[in-house]
Amino acid sequence: MRFQDASRDARAVVYAGVQADPTVARAAQLLAAATTGQRLLARAAMNGQSDDPAAWRVMFPTLFGPRAEAAESERSEAVLTAALDVAGRGEHARSLYRGAIVEALTERLLAQRVQPAAVHRERRILFDGVRSEIHPYDVTVELPDRAEAYDCKWGARGINAEVLLQLDLARRNAELEGARLVTALVVFDSRRSCRVRLARQTPTPGVRLVALESLDALAGGKPAVPGALAGADPGRPS
Amino acid sequence: MPDVQDAIARATSALDALARAGEAVEDEWQYVTDLHAVWRARLVQVATARGTASVEPGVLEAVERASVELEAIEDPHRAIDWLSTYPQIVLLALGETG
Repeated sequence: MRFQDASRDARAVVYAGVQADPTVARAAQLLAAATTGQRLLARAAMNGQSDDPAAWRVMFPTLFGPRAEAAESERSEAVLTAALDVAGRGEHARSLYRGAIVEALTERLLAQRVQPAAVHRERRILFDGVRSEIHPYDVTVELPDRAEAYDCKWGARGINAEVLLQLDLARRNAELEGARLVTALVVFDSRRSCRVRLARQTPTPGVRLVALESLDALAGGKPAVPGALAGADPGRPS
Repeated sequence: MPDVQDAIARATSALDALARAGEAVEDEWQYVTDLHAVWRARLVQVATARGTASVEPGVLEAVERASVELEAIEDPHRAIDWLSTYPQIVLLALGETG
């Protein structure tokens, strides 16, 4: 099993520009330290209609109300500002930015658990005698004794058979070579919605799910089982 | 004094309308139906458990404002996305988990 940078087609070049936008890094930085409620605020505002911050403050009384701690309110404000910045870029652009933010967030959280130099973006995984996959993995962790591959989605609707199959095949190919590869879907959506989506897919028990509520597991301490992500769900309906 | 049932009644009504908007995406009809059923059941579960308990100040306003926000959505694809987001906003306001 070996890793390779994905070749850059025209779409990738355009997307690389979005990925490099400081707005993406800023949002990822804020969301890495955010609570689940603040991440939900970001999800809502980035896909909302209203560009009025006051409206969002009303919708999230636990984040902005009188009972919210000052430091948390401050972070909520920063998350809201960043989310509305993305939302204000128009329908097509906001879609690209949301995806890039989930990837950057995943990268940032993983870099809290492993050496940042081991975390990579847009990588292909190659196996002997196996045709390489069409799509690169959004984020990978490449360590001498094990590896992890992540596909990142803004919403549960992005979960589909092709994505699950590619992740599962990579894991199985690694196993055939005696290598250890953890594969997971990172979805910036609730676990409940992800399970609804997964319930109609062919079960892929080897693919893990990291939903909005369990994002911190990406950064979390030592997993109970080597290579497994603490707090992450297996990629199948419960 | 508004109670949990008031908040959930407003929320389920808005959620039902949102699902109808999302059903316009034919390829996702099953997902929309499933998502609607699951989240609606979760909201009803909260209403059943907490019923006439009064809600904190700001909760009913939060539900109302979020409902207005989603009722402004015309794009059925965005409606599908909100079918997942909206119930979570309601539950968070009520101090419940998703």
